[in-house]
Amino acid sequence: MPETLKLIFQVLVFPGGLFALCLGLCLKGFERRIRARLQRRVGPPLLQPFFDLAKLARKDTTIPEGAPACLFSALPFAGVCSMAIAAAMIPITGVHLAPAGLGDILVLFYLLAIPAIVLMLAGSASGSPFSAIAFSRELSIMMAYEGPILLVILTIAIRVGVSQGGWIALSLNDIIAYQQRYGAFLFDPVMWPALLAFLVFFPANLGVAPFDIPEAESEVLDGPLLEYSGPLLGLFKMMSAMKAGVVIGLGIALFYPNAPGGALGLMCFVLKCFVVSSLGVAVLRTSMGRMRIDQAFRFLVIWPGILGLVSLVVVLWRY
Amino acid sequence: MSSLSRFAGKSPWLYRINAGSCNGCDVELATTAIIPRYDVERLGCQYCASPKHADIVLITGPLTTRVKDKVLSLYDEIPNPKVTVAIGICPISGGVFRESYTMSRPVDEYIPVDVNVPGCPPRPQAIIEGIAKAIKILESRS
Amino acid sequence: MWQLVLLKNLLKGPATEAFPFGEATTPAAYRGRVAFDPSACTACRTCQYVCAAGAIHFEERPDGLRFTLWHNSCVFCGMCQHYCVAKAIHLTTDWHLSHEQARKYEMVEEGWVPFRPCLQCGELMLPATPPLMRLAYRGDSKEIEALRHLCPKCRQTRAAGRNS
Repeated sequence: MPETLKLIFQVLVFPGGLFALCLGLCLKGFERRIRARLQRRVGPPLLQPFFDLAKLARKDTTIPEGAPACLFSALPFAGVCSMAIAAAMIPITGVHLAPAGLGDILVLFYLLAIPAIVLMLAGSASGSPFSAIAFSRELSIMMAYEGPILLVILTIAIRVGVSQGGWIALSLNDIIAYQQRYGAFLFDPVMWPALLAFLVFFPANLGVAPFDIPEAESEVLDGPLLEYSGPLLGLFKMMSAMKAGVVIGLGIALFYPNAPGGALGLMCFVLKCFVVSSLGVAVLRTSMGRMRIDQAFRFLVIWPGILGLVSLVVVLWRY
Repeated sequence: MSSLSRFAGKSPWLYRINAGSCNGCDVELATTAIIPRYDVERLGCQYCASPKHADIVLITGPLTTRVKDKVLSLYDEIPNPKVTVAIGICPISGGVFRESYTMSRPVDEYIPVDVNVPGCPPRPQAIIEGIAKAIKILESRS
Repeated sequence: MWQLVLLKNLLKGPATEAFPFGEATTPAAYRGRVAFDPSACTACRTCQYVCAAGAIHFEERPDGLRFTLWHNSCVFCGMCQHYCVAKAIHLTTDWHLSHEQARKYEMVEEGWVPFRPCLQCGELMLPATPPLMRLAYRGDSKEIEALRHLCPKCRQTRAAGRNS
């Protein structure tokens, strides 16, 4: 029983649910501020995403005519729940171990796909032509990046697994333990193709420029979220904030988890998140234009695909 | 829940409706958002693409007869609480197009306007001033 | 290199104006709220004629003229200022014109240009204003100043009497 309670706590409060939400929102606020500074603007207050959520909680919600009301309003909850569980599965070095009760890295991989699926369903449920365009775009982008990221995860799992005497290690805890002992993959030239592939995957998954095609404001009017308003829209904002935390956290766990234990470890993790968010997301958002969907699809299939294959071959050959 | 209403004024999302404007005011609106000199994001503002996300509606243009029904249905899409700001003299009075048979001016005969920002077009600072006034009204409404 | 541009931007700091939290800069030649000086107006109505937006209106009453300028129609082109011989109308740099809907019909500039009685016959007429006199005669003389307060008819009579 205490084990179950602990699991519930992990999903709802730390490091899932509440913690992931706060981290994601802080990352978003920080990123918006950095983005403004890169454009020589002052930018919004650091807590702006929190204000946005508080405001959305007070707005009216309208459900478009002809939309299946049940599906329409259940989808954002599904998205937030999936991300809360995914966040609980991200280990924080020295602070939190991925609970075995939730599953291994493959489960995380599938959970990471749920927000995209939720967005697609939301787009098709709202019955707007813009959302329908966004649906097809989201689908093609997802088809493009899911393959390469699986190759990356496989590469790392095989490398860690072989060192353990087995064949494949699917537990994030093992991957972290390996890097703690032998050094982070970030500084290992053998893993750099995989790292590059992951770096391409992460803006595509988070919908950051140049891959923000499904949510393109100026073309498809926020895409899948077009018909959502009020608290339901707030849930989607929560979902994307948590997703940012989860994806960045996954990157940290896969490539640079090294940190001391205790509170210092937590601080290290948060600091790394902020560095990735400001260096990666903010700079990309300021400096990149938006790709066309066919360009993005080709780019995402070819480059991360090649990089993933190269890293897989290298790892298979060396270990 | 009432404690949340304090934050309504800190995150007003702006939505632009072009009711047959000559685009002069729209350019100034874009200026307030994009040009670093008049950073409207300091007020927590954000231009949103969908009317369903909007808090403050910025209307430009004299409401031409052709666009009238579309503007009205668009306005109905915006969830409450909402505040309307008329940007430029066209939505306020009809401006130089006042006597034209193609205009259903002024806007406030069809839509409850809350703040007017006269000018042809108004300068970006004046628009920001108008938005600041609209934020006060938004706070009192939510 | 765009990376260098971004870095420079970051180091230079924001270029944002202080407004709305501080004062905004306004160019000296900015055309804002219109100011009307009834004491200088000669009611030639050129401003009403040249007003592109039709924002200026003169209403003639038995005892004077009412000038009305509606800021919610004005396009701030400055034509009225340009064509005003008597310099009675000019555009200030005040741009704080945004207002709540309740004040929509208060955004006017009004002025009352009263007729004055002719010093001789007492008929109501509009004397030429000092700025106009300066423009027309360059110098001041007592005679001209006296003629200013006469109606056209009395002026004619006086001029004819002087010559004979």
